[in-house]
Parts: sequence; C-alpha cells; structure tokens
Amino acid sequence: MKSLVRSIAAAALGLSALVAVPAFAAKDVVFAVASTFTTTDPYDANDTLSQAMAKSFYEGLYGFDKDMKMIPVLAESYDASTDGLVYTLKLRKGVKFHDGTDFKADAVKANLDRVTNPDNKLKRYGLYNNNIANVEVVDDYTARITLKTPFSPFIAQLAHPSTVMISPAALKQWGNKDIAFHPVGTGPFKFVEWKATDYLKVAKFDGYWKKGYPKVDTITWKPVVDNNSRAALMQTGEAHFTFPVPYELADVLKAKPDLELVAAPSIVLRYLSMNTQQKPFDNPKVRQAIAYAINKEALAKVAFNGYATPAEGVAPQGVEYAVKIGPWPYDVAKAKTLLAEAGYPNGFETELWSAYNYSTAQKVTQFLQQQLQQIGIKTKITLLEAGQRVEKVESWQDPATAPVRLYYVGWSTSTGEADWALRPLLYGESWPPKLFNTAYYKNDKVDADIKGAQLTTVSTEKAKFYKDAQETIWKDAPWAPLVTEKLLSAHNKKLTGVYVIPDASFIFTDIDLK
Amino acid sequence: MLQYIAKRLVGLVPTLLLVGLLVFLFVHLLPGDPARLAAGPEATPETVALVRSDLGLDQPLPRQFARFLNGVVHWDFGTSLRTKRPVATEIGDRFMPTFWLTLWSMAWSVAIGMTIGILSAVWRNRWPDRVGMTLAVSGISFPAFALGMVLMQIFSVELGWLPTVGDDTWRHYILPSLTLGAAVAAIMARFTRSSFVDILGEDYIRTARAKGLDERRVVIKHGMRNALIPVVTMMGLQFGFLLGGSIVVEKVFNWPGLGRLLVDAVDMRDYPVIQALVLLFSLEFILINLIVDILYGIINPTIRYR
Repeated sequence: MKSLVRSIAAAALGLSALVAVPAFAAKDVVFAVASTFTTTDPYDANDTLSQAMAKSFYEGLYGFDKDMKMIPVLAESYDASTDGLVYTLKLRKGVKFHDGTDFKADAVKANLDRVTNPDNKLKRYGLYNNNIANVEVVDDYTARITLKTPFSPFIAQLAHPSTVMISPAALKQWGNKDIAFHPVGTGPFKFVEWKATDYLKVAKFDGYWKKGYPKVDTITWKPVVDNNSRAALMQTGEAHFTFPVPYELADVLKAKPDLELVAAPSIVLRYLSMNTQQKPFDNPKVRQAIAYAINKEALAKVAFNGYATPAEGVAPQGVEYAVKIGPWPYDVAKAKTLLAEAGYPNGFETELWSAYNYSTAQKVTQFLQQQLQQIGIKTKITLLEAGQRVEKVESWQDPATAPVRLYYVGWSTSTGEADWALRPLLYGESWPPKLFNTAYYKNDKVDADIKGAQLTTVSTEKAKFYKDAQETIWKDAPWAPLVTEKLLSAHNKKLTGVYVIPDASFIFTDIDLK
Repeated sequence: MLQYIAKRLVGLVPTLLLVGLLVFLFVHLLPGDPARLAAGPEATPETVALVRSDLGLDQPLPRQFARFLNGVVHWDFGTSLRTKRPVATEIGDRFMPTFWLTLWSMAWSVAIGMTIGILSAVWRNRWPDRVGMTLAVSGISFPAFALGMVLMQIFSVELGWLPTVGDDTWRHYILPSLTLGAAVAAIMARFTRSSFVDILGEDYIRTARAKGLDERRVVIKHGMRNALIPVVTMMGLQFGFLLGGSIVVEKVFNWPGLGRLLVDAVDMRDYPVIQALVLLFSLEFILINLIVDILYGIINPTIRYR
C-alpha cells in the first residue's frame, strides 16, 4: 500500500513537472489557418494567406500597420519626380538577410528585375511589368525606379505583401523556382521547415534589424481545413490564433474564458453586379430598382450572422480615397415604381449566379432571390464552382455574348488604394477576360477619372478624381452594393500583438506570448 | 499459381493504359482553365498566358498525352500545377499516412465486425443478434463527419485525452481510425452474419453437429472457412475504398492523406495530380483484387487457378 501511495506521488510529481516545463521553455506559437500554402514566394502567390505567412521571413520596402496605414519598412523615404515617372528610394541601413548578407539597393534591383522578366513566369508578373520600366542602383542605399507611364499608386504597390525583398545571394544560389523551398529574407523569423501536408515552421532571427524583436521563439503555421477542427484546436490550447472563424462558431468560442474573439473591419466588399450590356440591365432604372429592393441590414443578419455592415460606397471604408455615399436605402415601393417606369411593371425572369459555392454564398443568393421576388423579378440561382466561374465569367472571350446577368461576388482591395478598388472592376477596359468588370460597365467620365488619378501624384487631385468616379458609379448602379464583411479571428488571451488587417492579411510584428 | 499471378500482373498493363487515357480525357473535359485558376483573380491576360506556357498547357492535346505517357513510363508524373512540387513527392508524402490509417481502421473494424457478425448469426434473433445489428445499422447510418466531430469534441476538447488533429504519434491514430472504421465494421458485421446464417443451415454443419462436435468447433472450423469467401471479397473492396483516402475523415482530422490531395487537385484543376492519383487508385484496386483471389484459394483449396 505504501509503495502504491509512493508511486502515485511520484507519478503526480512527474506529471506536474511535465506540465510545468512549457512555462520556462521557449515561446512557441501555433497559428491555425484555413488552407494549405501554395508557395512561400510572394511573387508567385495569388492567395492572401500564403503572402501573410511569408511576412514571417520577408519584408517589403513599404508595408502596412495594423490599421492598414502605409508605413516605410526597408525603405526610409521616397521622392517622386514631378512627372510621376521616377521614384528614388532611400533604403534603411544596417539590415541583414538571414544568410548574413547586407540588404542594399542591389536587392531592390534583383527582385524587381526578377518579377518583370517574363522568362521567370511568375504569377505576379503582370502587376509589375505593366508599370516598371527599369530599376537602377544609384548607390548602396539608394535605388531609382523608372515607370513606363505615371502611376500614382506605385508606392501602395510597393507596400503590397507581394513586393518583398528576397536575398539576391539566395536567389542566385537556389534559382528562380527553388527559392520557394528555401526562402531567405530580412524578416523577424527565419525559415525552418515546410512539411506541405502538415505545417510550416519559422524561428526567431537573432540578427533582426529591429532590436528586441521578435518576442517569441517560433511560429508554427498549421493549415487546418475544417472549421470545427480549427475551433477544437483553439479550445484545447493546441493553437494560439486562428483565422477565419466561421460565423456559426463565433458564439462557441466567445463563451470560452481563455479565448478572445475579434471582429475586425475589412475591405472585403460584397456586391451584386449586373450585366449593363444586356437587356433589361442596360436600363439604369432597372439596376437602381434592384438596388432598392434589397434589405442590406437584413442580409447582414441573415447570411453573415450580423458580422457584416451594409456597404457604404463603391469602395469600402478603409481603402484610401474611398468615399462614403450610402448605404443604398431599402425601399420596395420606389423599386416597383422604377421598374414600372423602365417598362417592366410585372418584373422579368433572369439568372442569378454566385461566384462561390460555400454556405454563406448560398444563404446570400437565396435571400437575394426572395428579395427580388418582391418586385416581380424571378431568378434562377446557380452557385458556380471555381472552374465554372473561370469558364463562364472570368475568361469569357466575347463581351457581346457573355452569359452573366446578376452576379454575386466580392472584392478585397489588396493595395488598400482606390485604384485597385475601381480599375479592375469598373474601368471600361477591364471587361473579362482582361479583368473583372463583370457588369461590363463603361462610362467615359469614370474612365477619365480613373486615368486622371493614375497620372497625378498630387494627393488632393487624386481624391477629387476618385470622388467624382465613385459618385458617378453609385448613381449609375452597375452594382447593387450589398455589405462589407467583418473578419472574425480568435486568439488565446495569452497571445498579444497579432492582428487581422482589413485585407484579411495578418500583422504580427509585436507578437508576444505570456 | 505463380504463373497465374504473373499473368494477372501482365494483364494490368492494358487496364492501366485505358484508365490513363480515360482520366486524361476526363480531366481535360472539366470546365475551367487551370492556367487562369493558378494565376489567380488579379492576374492579367499576359500573366495567364505565361502561366499556361509554364504549365505546358499551350501544347496540343495529343502531345500532352504523349508527354504524360512518356513520363509515366519513366516513373515521372510531372509537377503539380498548384505547388510546383513533383507529383511523386506530393503523393509520396501522403501515401503512408493514408495507408497506415487504412490498415488500423481495417484491423479493428474487421475484428469487431466479424465477431459481431458471428455472434449475431449463432444467436440469431436473440438478444446478441438484436444488439449487434442495432450497432451495425447505427454504424452504417451515422455519417462519418458527424461521428468524427462528436469523438473529437468528447475526447479531445472535453476530456483532453487525445490530440485533436495531425498524424504524429499513435495516439493521433485512435480517433480517425475509429471514425473511418465504424462504417466498415458495420458492413462487415452484416455481411458476416448473413453469410454465416446461410452456412449454418447447410447439410455439412448438421453432419458435424450430428457427429457430436461441440458447437464452438462447428462454428469456427466448419462454418468460418466457408462463410469467409464473400466476407473476404467485401473486405477487399472496403480496403480499396479506404486506400483512396477518406475525404471527410481527412478533413475533420486534418489528416495529411490522399483524399484531401485529390479534392484540392480537382478544385484547382491540377491535371498531373488528378491523373497520377486516379492511376494509383486503379492500381491499388487491381492489386487488392488479385490478393483477394489468392486468398480464395487459401481459404478454399478446391478453388484452382488457371
């Protein structure tokens, strides 16, 4: 009996020692994210998540803070020539890459030359090759970038998470493709291991230029596809941070005392685009009627569990130069009048497509169908799977025969600047298959505004151009603006300094674990 | 016997060729342009064209097929369009986790399923049968994803006994193999039962009993062997299905297996991965069938191979 007591005591002691160990050990943080990473090379990535993860080891010349305000990172300042063509960048001194080499102007040249070279076949090629003419090294800490045409959002493009500085030495060593498996940057963490099926691990970089950072030892990025499983990982404490949290699990996680649920504002705008080249949507009154017929407040409640707000403009608040115009009022009587004036007193039948086939999109389209029914518009819903979407919408060659009518879709303005909120979606030359003007909208005044804003570097003038464009678009209603989503994330209360920023990327410069 | 196996293995080649051709045509018939999908929503047409030529999708179909065949012969399945890693690596990384999970699930579900089946058959229409078959019906009808979530909620979240996701230690295998095996155990139980019920009515069983053999020997020695044939067939089929990776279980437990790889590949129209996976699954089925056929002979020596 005595020996039994003793062994139990010993076991308890052993157990408590085991439990106590993590308190003294390294600060290891686990992030549970929703999908696997496509690559670690931001120039070859098109998903926000891979680029957000790459911020562990890469930094750009510019970047965003947690409120999505642009801040200099590896650049200290820039100077734009008055014709808007030449940007001279002063670089930060004393920055080292993980491989021990110094960060200098040649890195800027090496990286931008790499992405603008079509032989490298990088997915972000188009974005850079459109505007960069050449990059010169003036001295070790000065780089000069010359553009093909003036492009005022250029610095915002440099702040985009895809524009990062990869070590030129590492690029040379691993080559254009293999660099994705051996990332070497200037970031707070250095790459340790990527098991594609399981996790990607990064560890503290001792030579990081910002003294005292990072405050944790490792981050393990763990892709966990299933929503419930991700929530379970948070509850067991196996993960410290997770994004996204699906709306239906929000309450469960909120109720846990050691977890904190955060609903952050986003620049993800959801809208219903209408093919303005086709009857009956060529009539602005029909389009306005549809916009009036939808109760956006109710939509936010029904489909987004309240984690969304009615859209307040063509570009969501938080995007630079976005103008607050709406929300578009809900007025069924007015919708009916407009529809009658347009010659459709009894409504009509049409197609309603959704760009996504997940459950929230299903709820949204069903709600829209029911709302449009009120004014006599009968819709047939199709939820497009990714491949169908590409075939029937995004790469449809001939605008005249485009089958898209009502189209539920969303857009996240990843540069945080009005140009990328308007140009791909509403510019006259952005019709599919070029870009995503699924409304096939063309208004010369709007086109002139967008072009004009690109050409000027004077902020107040830009603001004027964009304001005019957004107000014109709002009145023309090529879209029924619906809602701006909120971004739901959860973190353990011990974890601080991790933020989801409005474009659904992450900021974790100040990450710490108590 | 060896000759028979050799003959079957040779017969494998045309089958796989046919499967290869069909799956090649099939993936190219899927709507959606993989270059556009890979290039992403913000890409310009020039970028899409670049990606297309990078992926070799700008070549005529027959040439793409020839390249694919040539690759397969040289044991090169190309690189994934999505991750740019070799397809062989992508599949290799995930094959063993799926294989072990399948093996564990099959092991427990066959053991439990057959036991329940035999007990139910011996005590037909009495309480062991009722309990057993209730369990079996529940096992078939309870959806795997729900079972997985419930198990995870109880054993990982509430009790904290077992890890939630991943495949690092043997403890990670418990919940997924329970979830995956539940339906198989149920099917095995029902199959074993019906097969045994038939056999127990046969003349030779009556003879064995008439000889004065005790019931246990009658069931195990005379019943078992004869009842096993359909059960083994079913076992082979189930094994084949499970080896294809269970999408649902792999999603819930974040299992790094083949099922999720296939779903991701179809989503992104990752042609090389889809083709290689379908070929692999066909090969697995053919091999399992071969093994089942050989097992027939071991179970019942009157079966001859030609």
